[in-house]
Amino acid sequence: MTDKVIELRGVQQRFHARGTPDGYLTAVQDASFTLAADPPQVVSLVGQSGSGKSTIARNVLGLQKPTAGTVTYGGKDIFNLSRAEYDEYRKNVQPVFQDPYSIFNPFYRVDRVLWKAVKKFSLASTREAGEALIEESLKAVSLDPGRVLGRYPHQLSGGQRQRIMLARIHMLRPAFVIADEPVSMLDAQIRKMFLDILLDFQREHRMTTLFITHDLSTVYYLGGQVMVITKGVIVERGPVSSVMHEPSHPYTRLLLDSIPQPDPANRWTTRIKVDESPDADTTAAEAPEPRPLL
Amino acid sequence: MSEQAVLEVSGLEVTYSTNRGDVRAVQGLDLSVRRGEILGVAGESGSGKSTLAVALLRLLKPPGKVTAGSAIFHPKGRSPVDLLKVEGEELRVLRWSALSYLPQGSQSSLNPVMRVEDQFRDVILEHAPQRKEALSELIHRLLAQVGLEPRVTRMHPHELSGGMKQRVLMAICVALEPDLVIADEPTTALDVTIQRVILQSLADLRDDFGVTLMVISHDMGVHAQLADRVAVMYEGRLVEVGDVHQVFKDPRHEYTRQLIESIPRVGRRAS
Repeated sequence: MTDKVIELRGVQQRFHARGTPDGYLTAVQDASFTLAADPPQVVSLVGQSGSGKSTIARNVLGLQKPTAGTVTYGGKDIFNLSRAEYDEYRKNVQPVFQDPYSIFNPFYRVDRVLWKAVKKFSLASTREAGEALIEESLKAVSLDPGRVLGRYPHQLSGGQRQRIMLARIHMLRPAFVIADEPVSMLDAQIRKMFLDILLDFQREHRMTTLFITHDLSTVYYLGGQVMVITKGVIVERGPVSSVMHEPSHPYTRLLLDSIPQPDPANRWTTRIKVDESPDADTTAAEAPEPRPLL
Repeated sequence: MSEQAVLEVSGLEVTYSTNRGDVRAVQGLDLSVRRGEILGVAGESGSGKSTLAVALLRLLKPPGKVTAGSAIFHPKGRSPVDLLKVEGEELRVLRWSALSYLPQGSQSSLNPVMRVEDQFRDVILEHAPQRKEALSELIHRLLAQVGLEPRVTRMHPHELSGGMKQRVLMAICVALEPDLVIADEPTTALDVTIQRVILQSLADLRDDFGVTLMVISHDMGVHAQLADRVAVMYEGRLVEVGDVHQVFKDPRHEYTRQLIESIPRVGRRAS
């Protein structure tokens, strides 16, 4: 299936914004990259909040039409597909979002999210076959069907809810998973389990993942390729091992240096200053007089 | 040792009653916090670390219940009190002025329709009406302590980024020079560079202003960078407590070692 390629060419996304010189905020500038299903791969897109990374996820998922440039799937513009082609795209490109709380309707049992997928994409012809499929997929993400089915979202933990979304993906077997900050609300051990499931999907079910995150340590754990985005511009890209060990862009270096290392003998010795005001230039500068942090 | 302790918790038990029976969220916990230190409390979700915080702050809600233990608090210039027994007016007076709380997810902790300075005014005048005279200067000084400019006083919460909101809360927490600040996951869900700035500010509060901090976090990297001592909780019990260097170099408990190793390490340390 060599036509399963998502390609972004010169994608630009502007939004109306008050207080900017021309009345627009450019969230993404000239973003170009290719996601191929064969061979399956993990491509991480890493950047701070406001860097434009989630906007790119929305562009890829077809939720937001870019103001310039194109997003194509198998050579066709995804904002110009026939109904059947769009359904095919939706089946093959599945999202996982950050918040494992808001994705569920609190009034329905969690089973509904899974049954919706079975029905919308005609995954099973009988109720028994659907049940078997749901159970198999829950087990594939290390959930005990007896302990999650029939429950309401608030009765499950964040990690369990997020794994139900993975079970849904396991049922659908899309070629692409677009994961926007899927682990930022999970703690370390649950996070590792989630990432292992994604890697397992890549190996066992040949899924390509676009993994969007602000956390470089998860990027490092996943491996594969990485793109670094800041202020709407992809400033660095390459294999995770080389970008992490020999970052070429100063912004990548700053990000790497800001990961709290689990080693008290290796504490930060310099201070950074980040201008966080929403309208400001968000580059961080080294303080002129370095002093020990502690 | 006990002369320096600002808080001595002993034999703490917290139970949540559910229709499937009682869950013992904190069991037989003994822990002391020394004046002027940063004590890190580590553990995964469900380890009881947040329950410990809410129990000490007396914010535990049913079905949660403290079933045993004491938490002797030694505020400066006041007689020691058991935080688990203090009630009513006495508890109200202690809060903010002697014991304050920096919550997780500060996004929703500020009043959205009040300017930053009014949120300070609220807390300060409630507990220390005599500070009314030089209030603006005090607010500016507090904001400077956490690296924020005076113009922030005129802003509403929606005009602030997540990291700025967190620092406004930190400044409010220390406004009345409390004996102890309990911070629950103060950097969770923040970007790495913003997290680093928050950790810098927390360290400054201790280094430059002598604030005693109890910092609860699941991130061992945060403890390694910030804490003087680390307490590790697992399934409601304290499995280890010790100097941060010792805990990381030579963890006594297998679970601590797993927690440290569960962090994916990035190969390079930029210089």
